Amino acid sequence: MDLSDSVLDHLRHTAALPDLTGTRYELEGEIGRGGMGVVYRARDRDLDRRVALKVLDAEMEGEARLIARLEHPAIVPIHETGRLPDGRAFYAMKLVAGVRLDHYLAQAPSLAERLRVIRRVGEALAYAHTTGAIHRDLKPQNVMVGEFGEVYVMDWGMDAVAGTPGFRAPETRLDRFSDIYALGALLAFVLTSPGPQALAGPSALRAIAAKAMQADPAARYPDTTALLADIERFQEGLAVGAWAEPWGHRLRRFGSRNAVLLWLLAAYAGVKFVLFFLRNL
Amino acid sequence: MDRDTAIGGPHGHFPSTQVSLLEAAASGVPNEALERVIALYWKPVYRFIRFKFGKDNEDAKDLTQSFFASALERDFFARFDPSKASFRTYLRMAVERFAANQHAAQNRQKRGGDIEFEPLEEQAAGTTESPEQVFEREWQRQLFALALDELRAHCEASGKQLQFAIFEAYDLAGAERPSYAGLAAQHGIAETSVTNHLAWARRMLRGFVTERLRGVTSGERELREEMRRLWT
Repeated sequence: MDLSDSVLDHLRHTAALPDLTGTRYELEGEIGRGGMGVVYRARDRDLDRRVALKVLDAEMEGEARLIARLEHPAIVPIHETGRLPDGRAFYAMKLVAGVRLDHYLAQAPSLAERLRVIRRVGEALAYAHTTGAIHRDLKPQNVMVGEFGEVYVMDWGMDAVAGTPGFRAPETRLDRFSDIYALGALLAFVLTSPGPQALAGPSALRAIAAKAMQADPAARYPDTTALLADIERFQEGLAVGAWAEPWGHRLRRFGSRNAVLLWLLAAYAGVKFVLFFLRNL
Repeated sequence: MDRDTAIGGPHGHFPSTQVSLLEAAASGVPNEALERVIALYWKPVYRFIRFKFGKDNEDAKDLTQSFFASALERDFFARFDPSKASFRTYLRMAVERFAANQHAAQNRQKRGGDIEFEPLEEQAAGTTESPEQVFEREWQRQLFALALDELRAHCEASGKQLQFAIFEAYDLAGAERPSYAGLAAQHGIAETSVTNHLAWARRMLRGFVTERLRGVTSGERELREEMRRLWT
C-alpha cells in the first residue's frame, strides 16, 4: 500500500490520539508532552469538570500507582487510573491552571519568592523520599506555579526515565541523592534565570546549590530536609553549612542581623561619652 | 531520475506473536528476525541508497539486496548493542558504510584506482530533506503500510469489512475527506457508528504498528522511544 506524505501524517496523528471509548472522559486538546507520555485536557462527563489526562507511552501503569499514593499539597492529586482500549495506561489528575517554572521566572519574581518555590519543591521531594518514591527528572519544566502561588511538582518518574542534561546527576543509577542533585540544579537555575541580567544569587545560596550538585553523592546533603534547612538558615541571616564564610562577610552578616542591638550599643556608648565629656568640663 | 522500484520486501510470513529482535537473534533464529527487518527496512534502505549515493533503480536494488545478504552472513544482529544506538540508527549507519565501500570499489574498477564519490546530496535539489530524513520517512511509511495490510487482512478475516471501508474512506482519503454524516448516509448507519468504527480501526492500527515496532526493537525502552518519535 503506497501512502502519500499527507495520509501518513494524518495516520500518525489520529493513531496517536487516545481512544476514550468506555471512559468517562471527552478529549478536548493536547496540553503538552512529558517524560513518559502526552498530557491532554479532557472533560469528566460524570462530574462535569475539566481534568488533565496523562496517557503513558507504553504499559507503565506503575507510574500512575506511584503518584496516586503520594498525597502532598505540592503534588498534583490523581483522580483515577485506568487503561485505554488500546492498552495504554492513563491517569486523570487535577487540571492545574498556572505556568511552568521557567516561564514564571521570566516575570522576574523576587529572590524571596524564588526561594519559596524552591522550598515547596523541596518539601514535596522530602515527603516523596519518605515513601520510597523518587522523582528522577526534576527540572523547571516539571514544576508548575499556579495562579494563586501554589506550587506543583509534576511528572514523577519511572525506572525508564533517564533525567535531563543539566539537571541529571552524573551517577548511573538514580536514587534520592540524584533528586538532591536536581534540586541543587533547580536552585542554581532559579537564581540565574531568565538570563545574564538576572541575579547571580548570593554566595551562600550558590554554595548550597554547589554542595547539592557535588559529583560524589556522599558529598551532597544527606537528605532534602538538610538542604532546605540550609536555605532557611540563609533566609534567617545565619551561617549556612555549605559555605566557609570569609570573616568580613561574617561581620557584615552579624551586623545586619543584629542591627538594633548594635544601634542601641552605639547610642549607649554615645551617651556615656557625652556624660564623660560634660563631667570633665 | 528513473522511478523507484515497487519492491517492498516480503509480505505475509511473519510470526503472529513477534518476539523482540534481540530475543530472536539470541535464540538462534536470526532468519526470522531478518525477515521482519527486511519487510520493514527494504524500501527505506533502497531509498536511502538512491538518495545518498545517487544510484539508479537497478544499482540501488542490487546494493540493497547485497546489504541484507551480507547482514545475514556477518552476524549483523549479534553485533548490535542497544546501549549505543537504536536498531534503526545502527542499521542505517551499517547501510551507509556498506554502500560507501561498494560505491568506492565500483569507482576503483571503473577508473583504475581513483576513488571518486558522486556528490552525496546531488539528488537533494528541490527537497529540503537529508538522506537520513528520507530514510526515517520511508521507514515510517513502510511501518504504516505493513500495519495497514494487517488491519485489512484482520478486517476481512473477522467480517469487519464495513469498519475498514469507513476507515479507508476517511483516514486514507488522499484528497478531501468525506463528512461523518456523508459516510453514515452512504452506509446506512448512524453517525455515532461511523465515529465508533473509526475509533476501532485506529485502535487496531495502533496495535499493529506497536507490534511491528516491538518486533524490530531491543526492548521496552527502545520501543517507547521509537513510539514517541513516531507519534510526535
